[in-house]
Amino acid sequence: MSGIALPVGLISEGKRRRRWPVLVVFAIAWLSLMLGIALLADVIAPYAYTALDLRNRLAPPGATMLHPLGTDELGRDVLSRLIFSIRMSLLIAFGATIIGALIGTSLGVLAAHFRGLVEQVVLALVDFSASLPFLILALAVLAFFGNSLTLFICLLGLHAWERYARIARGLVISAGAQGYAAAVRQLGASPWRVYGRHVLPNIASTLIVSMTLAFPEIILLESGLSFLGLGVQPPETSLGSMVGYGREYLTRAPWILLSPAAVIVLTTFSVSVLGDWLRDRLDPTLS
Amino acid sequence: MTGTPLLEATGLTRRYAMRRGLFGRPVEVRAVDGVSLSLEQGRTLGLVGESGCGKSTTGRLVLGLERPDAGSVAFEGRPMPGPGTPAWRALRARMQMVFQDPLGALDRRMTIGAQVAEPLEIHGIGDRDGRVARLLGDVGLRPDQAGRYPHELSGGQRQRAVLARALATDPAVLVCDEPISALDVSIQAQVMNLLVELQARLGTAILFVSHDLRAVRQVSHRVAVMYLGRIVEEGEPDAVLHDPAHPYAQALVSAIPHPGRRQRRILLQGDPPNPADRPSGCAFHPRCPAAVALCAREDPVLKPRPGDGRHVACHVAQGDAPAPSDGRSAARRGGPDRPAEAMRAA
Amino acid sequence: MLRFFGFRLLRAAITIVMVVSFAFVVLRLSGDPAQIIMGADAPPEAIAAFRRAWGLEEPLWLQYFHYFGAILSGDLGRSMRDGRDAIALVVERIPATLALTVPALLIKLGLGIPAGITAALHRNSFIDRAVMMLAVAGFTVPSFVLGLLLVLVFAVQLGWLPSGGQESWRHAILPIVTMGVGGAAVLARFTRSAMLEVLGQPYIRTASAKGVPWRAVVWGHALPNAAIPTVTIIGFMVGSLIAGAVVVESVFSWPGVGRLLVVAVANRDLAVVQCILLLVAATMVTANLVVDLLYGALDPRLRQRTA
Ligand SMILES: Nc1ncnc2c1ncn2[C@@H]1O[C@H](COP(=O)(O)OP(=O)(O)OP(=O)(O)O)[C@@H](O)[C@H]1O
Ligand code: SF4
Ligand SMILES: [Mg+2]
Repeated sequence: MSGIALPVGLISEGKRRRRWPVLVVFAIAWLSLMLGIALLADVIAPYAYTALDLRNRLAPPGATMLHPLGTDELGRDVLSRLIFSIRMSLLIAFGATIIGALIGTSLGVLAAHFRGLVEQVVLALVDFSASLPFLILALAVLAFFGNSLTLFICLLGLHAWERYARIARGLVISAGAQGYAAAVRQLGASPWRVYGRHVLPNIASTLIVSMTLAFPEIILLESGLSFLGLGVQPPETSLGSMVGYGREYLTRAPWILLSPAAVIVLTTFSVSVLGDWLRDRLDPTLS
Repeated sequence: MTGTPLLEATGLTRRYAMRRGLFGRPVEVRAVDGVSLSLEQGRTLGLVGESGCGKSTTGRLVLGLERPDAGSVAFEGRPMPGPGTPAWRALRARMQMVFQDPLGALDRRMTIGAQVAEPLEIHGIGDRDGRVARLLGDVGLRPDQAGRYPHELSGGQRQRAVLARALATDPAVLVCDEPISALDVSIQAQVMNLLVELQARLGTAILFVSHDLRAVRQVSHRVAVMYLGRIVEEGEPDAVLHDPAHPYAQALVSAIPHPGRRQRRILLQGDPPNPADRPSGCAFHPRCPAAVALCAREDPVLKPRPGDGRHVACHVAQGDAPAPSDGRSAARRGGPDRPAEAMRAA
Repeated sequence: MLRFFGFRLLRAAITIVMVVSFAFVVLRLSGDPAQIIMGADAPPEAIAAFRRAWGLEEPLWLQYFHYFGAILSGDLGRSMRDGRDAIALVVERIPATLALTVPALLIKLGLGIPAGITAALHRNSFIDRAVMMLAVAGFTVPSFVLGLLLVLVFAVQLGWLPSGGQESWRHAILPIVTMGVGGAAVLARFTRSAMLEVLGQPYIRTASAKGVPWRAVVWGHALPNAAIPTVTIIGFMVGSLIAGAVVVESVFSWPGVGRLLVVAVANRDLAVVQCILLLVAATMVTANLVVDLLYGALDPRLRQRTA
């Protein structure tokens, strides 16, 4: 799967004059809101996400002042669950994105540094990841290992690692071939210095842009797996598992799934917009 | 030229595997094929030759940046340690490279000052601020330019920054790989003067790689002409560049426009050399205007020529074979005609 | 050319070996299959019998060999739940999945590619913006959300179509649309950027500057070149025909391979999961191989780079 990026034209073209395109402002505002909610979940959630209110089951939004977004089958407050789900989904997406970037970049740098056998092994691993849709691979691992939050995050962290590996390898090789890296190496610098002080800072912007492209994909994967009941396990809740749970009540109480679904869509949309905008500004070479 | 050389390279050979096309098996390219040279303190060896003849590769081998497939480099009488080893890294303080492309050789995310200070940090040399300021002054950069980023400097200023960085540890050997070809003419002169001046002051041994014969002449104490991975002629710049003995060197020299001398440009026929497919005998024979039958059979060796002792690898110039009858200057020995002044002025 | 074929085949074979090894390693790492299948409180005799039956007492490398041999001979084990041949279980689900994925693929190609080309040729026009808006939506709306929204509208509110199951062709419409629309959006985006990239190349500009009619430039130069990157993503789509419907099948309770996989994962029915894994890998590797070979035919530069 190639990077999923928004069309450049949608965001920047025709709006060149303005420094901050409307969509970008919206994306930043929305993501800040999501981050704020995730950080302050304990404070702002009106109820615990497991708290039952058996007198108000399946209450539609606005029906009682107690539950502005309604309640589910067990009378749990949808708003509170939504807040905690946002926290969970963001935690997973951040964790997994960082893990993927770390693993992928390290392997890519190793491949470029040692070349030869190491590089062939890394490339074979890249082939391997490309040979399986990640969803299938993830499902297989979950079947074999069972599920826990840590495992789940690490598993999603494997998503897109090969993209970082490929990018890092290419950039390191080209940096090392003619340019500044070769120059610093022949000054007598150790590999640590060459990579740590020169190469990584130079390729960081490209890698960060790749992270903003992988982040929404991970949110989608997480919610997809959780929707299937194979991701985040009850009593924990995430955006995807809320949708999966709400699906049972699609006819009677669609509000249970509509609000988490909207949050998923808006969040992935915002990160994509932001990533695309960053890419335009930081790294015109990344297509 | 006295004493033992500072750096001595013998029989350097470097092969690269290259695949031609989809069906081809890898062919071996001998980028450098048995090159010997020596660098002495305070002296400059100029290395000239057409593109792809192996000049840069020779420069890298001489500095030990790559391991030769055959041959060896000795620095101060000791063999060159393998690239990347701690001993090799420590030795970098003594030998430095100035790259052709100054913008590419600098880290665009670091200030000039920080980059000039970097070799000092790497080799644990103290008084960095003072030294950086002095180095920048030496290469003619203003102190306030230490805070600039590479893209904020002009091409000539960047090349000076690269030079300052290369000189930071007072290296004994400096390899300049086409240090001026990316610059415009007025700046070329500045950078070259700077090199000459610094060498006079610090006693650095320089290998000056270029295909600009005039530049080579201006800075070098000796000149070596390379063709297809080998040195074909070597000697004093005045001699080699005004009265070349090797037909290839003659063609090179004739290609420089000389105001004040009637142009007689020797045009090389045939294809430019392909290092993967080295002709038999003298590698130059398919293009050589002076070639004789012997040339296709036997490989001429680089040796002092009878008479003036010029080092040249050519049967005809050596007098081992008669010159062809059209009387081309191939075998002419020590001709007196040297418009040195005209050439300097050019 | 032979060399290129050989190289590609070798890479494909290595990938398959890696997938099989991965399955084996993961299978062994995941704990004692006997315990998992029989349950922790099964009587020790039963566990011992199970271990013997499954060859779990041999040394690991021997197990690995047997495992490979078994897979090569098409023996992918039995479903640990109902004892049926895993491969038979999977194969009988394939037609149902193909009934969704093949029409969906046709929709993707039929909508996505023309939309992408049109958008690229009329850059910044209304059409371009509309296509790109849809493409963005297609990416940011996950298929389960889209599917459920379609159910909500067309099944629950309007009552036009059934919400799930596999009784008639009408049951297939919503899942096919769900998959096709999302995929078409991705493909449109991809085609558009491939086209734009090609249209910006100097040779295209030269051709049109030399007075070659624009139509000829587009058909003669731009499209063939833009096809090269687009083929990759199509290859990926073809490769996921068999298991590309995991989520959608679950949304619409469609009894295909994807649904089987989800149930097998939930039940930890390892033989079935592994069988699907290998099958998917084999299709994917084959599709990639075909794409690569097509590339080799389309673009001689690539042969050089990889050889
Ligand atoms: N890393 C490499 N891999 C393969 N071939 C190489 C490599 N480096 C150099 N070569 C080949 O070796 C030959 C000599 O290259 P080199 O860069 O030394 O030439 P040069 O004389 O410096 O040319 P120029 O004047 O263009 O810089 C060329 O044919 C080149 O293609
Ligand atoms: S040896 Fe022969 S071919 Fe070679 S340079 Fe001399 S004359 Fe020319
Ligand atoms: Mg060179």
